[in-house]
Amino acid sequence: MRQRLRPALVVLVMLALWEAAVWAVGGSVLISSPLSILTYLIEEWHLVLRAAVETTGNAAHGFLWGNLAAVALAALVIAVPISGRLVSAIALLVFSVPLIASGPILRVLYGPGVGPQVTLAALAVYYTTFIALVVGLRAVPRTWTDLIEIYGHGQLVILAKVRAWASFPYLFAGLQIAAPASLLGAMIGEFTGAERGLGVLTLRGMRGLETDAIWALATVSALIAIAAYWALGWLGRRIVGYQPVILLSPPRTVGNRPVQNRIIELALITLAVLMFWQVAMDAAGLNRFFAKRPGDIWVFLSDGGNRETLLAALGQTLAFAVPGYLAGLGLGAGLAALLVVMPGVAGAAMPIAVALRSIPIITTAPVLLLAFGRGATGTIVVVAVMIFFPTLVACMQGLRQTPGQIVELFSSYGAGRWRLLTAAQIPAMLPAFFASARMAVPAALLAVTTAEWLATGKGIGVLMALTASTSNYNMLWSCVVLLCVTAAAMYAVVSWCERAVLSIYASEQLI
Amino acid sequence: MPGIDVRCEGVRKGFGTVDAVAPLSVTFAAGRTTALLGPSGCGKSTLLRLIAGLETPEDGRISLGGDDPKTVAGRGGLAMAFQDPSLLPWRSVRANIALGAELARKPDDRVDHLIDLVGLSGFADHRPAELSGGMRQRAAIARSLVSDPDLLLLDEPFGAVDALTRRRLGAELPPLWWESGATAILVTHSVEEAVHLSDRILVLSARPARIVADIPVDLPIGSNARAPEADAHRAIVTKVMTALEGTA
Repeated sequence: MRQRLRPALVVLVMLALWEAAVWAVGGSVLISSPLSILTYLIEEWHLVLRAAVETTGNAAHGFLWGNLAAVALAALVIAVPISGRLVSAIALLVFSVPLIASGPILRVLYGPGVGPQVTLAALAVYYTTFIALVVGLRAVPRTWTDLIEIYGHGQLVILAKVRAWASFPYLFAGLQIAAPASLLGAMIGEFTGAERGLGVLTLRGMRGLETDAIWALATVSALIAIAAYWALGWLGRRIVGYQPVILLSPPRTVGNRPVQNRIIELALITLAVLMFWQVAMDAAGLNRFFAKRPGDIWVFLSDGGNRETLLAALGQTLAFAVPGYLAGLGLGAGLAALLVVMPGVAGAAMPIAVALRSIPIITTAPVLLLAFGRGATGTIVVVAVMIFFPTLVACMQGLRQTPGQIVELFSSYGAGRWRLLTAAQIPAMLPAFFASARMAVPAALLAVTTAEWLATGKGIGVLMALTASTSNYNMLWSCVVLLCVTAAAMYAVVSWCERAVLSIYASEQLI
Repeated sequence: MPGIDVRCEGVRKGFGTVDAVAPLSVTFAAGRTTALLGPSGCGKSTLLRLIAGLETPEDGRISLGGDDPKTVAGRGGLAMAFQDPSLLPWRSVRANIALGAELARKPDDRVDHLIDLVGLSGFADHRPAELSGGMRQRAAIARSLVSDPDLLLLDEPFGAVDALTRRRLGAELPPLWWESGATAILVTHSVEEAVHLSDRILVLSARPARIVADIPVDLPIGSNARAPEADAHRAIVTKVMTALEGTA
């Protein structure tokens, strides 16, 4: 009971400190106090409720479709193992396109209505569920499959009798992460143009500099996200009985494959994506004016002036994204290490960190931009915060993976906590750290472009906002392509670092 | 169901550059229990997997009563018990045992009878996680018997339980398959267990597996002579130990 009360107590103390801080500053246009947030919510409850119902409904729709797609993809990968690498790579690539970039394109493709919100919510969830499900479907002991084969059955019966059931806990772990993500997708859809919803109210609040409204809406969406996260966790524990510890990141692909194989793979993936793009647009019979094809972008980018504009915007974006990315990773890993040295604090901090990780940070981006300014600082903070919580949770889980016997070996020699941390626990944490560093790449690009879209006057996010409103669809599509390539390149750099570091500290992880 | 004889003719299997099973010819008589003993990693389990059709030999031929393993597997004539009980955690004990009949496409009218026989009557509706290691292994043995197989393959089925439980299981369970008339092949590390449970012991050499000794256990089934304390039992144990030492 005391264990359960502790986080609640910490939250209460934090709320009180928050209230006191705002009171001490003497009222501010940047920060709202808990009491003024509550006052706003009481006064505007009907408006907020209607928006919340709208956004949650769209998110739920997207959640359903995204997860169905994840199940279909996972079934494909298991049924046709040779497709695994290609399907996983394309799924990752599509997931790496920042939602704020797909948003305007979906808006022109769908026209008015909830289509973009629902699609973005689906795009925000399918990848993590897919990864969790594939891990679960594969995590079956050899003897279970032998048991089925001994009676002369094949892969289909193994799937129906063993794999599908064994993947259940993993599915729920994935669904739990997906629930808040679907809210994020729906809200970004609303940022890129919608009639109703929490995202629309937030945008309106930002234009009118209504501090209380922005803070109240961020609080409401954060609470919805946390509630969805806990509800699915509860449902999973009820149905399955236990939760496996899984790292929600794609399996490492840094094995010793020959360079020419990787080049062929890369070429195949690129070709498949380009073909899919062309065929999908043609099949849907979409107007070439707004539904650009690969050839259009090629012609557009052949022009030096266009390339210059685009690359200048990308440079501005990366100047925010890279420091934010590094700061988020460093602070997350650093705090995790610090908390391990102070186990008492870690016990109370872990549930709070898990809860905060479940908040789609984008919903709080307006608040952060308000508090830290619309320039470089605010944007970098948004990126860092977006990455900080998942890294913190992953690293804390990783630190716990230190084998108990090694910890005992150190203490039998009377080694201090710092010695244990640097010599045993941090090396044990590295695989989890790099797994979250890879997943942080798309997250960082999403955060930076969303912050730019919402507030700053710079970068590729702004370029997209401008071109979307001026119907410069060639430039809009080019932005998306460039962001996609950037995500893939950053991901490759992180994977390369991972390989270099893990080959020293955890060579058994490199298969 | 009457057991079937198992013939291996010049069977060879390698993994990469390592030969796990050298060209090996051996016959297992119908309705008898044969124990395979040998040093760790000598290829006993590989031989068992080859007979089960879970692996394909690179050379040679395996025939189970005249058919190839896949055909026998397809008509539900095979069953196997592993070192790990391999019960499915989401199924109850009853449903786990019934899985054997379900997969073999045979009626499940023997399930309750087998639950009684292996002493799990009060636990039929429990999940595997609620059972002790020994009880899980009993359930796994019951699952392998429920389809009334022609050939029963036992891959160290008592290997993961403690010594006392192992001895008890050994004492209580074997009559179940002896009575059914199935052919059984038992892989084990325990000489005592081999003498206690089988009609014949094959001692295999270090990798790649060859047969270095073929020792009959001509003691009446279920008699006191099979008990570990009996002189007849000890005489055979000594013989097997001598053969095993030759493999080192």
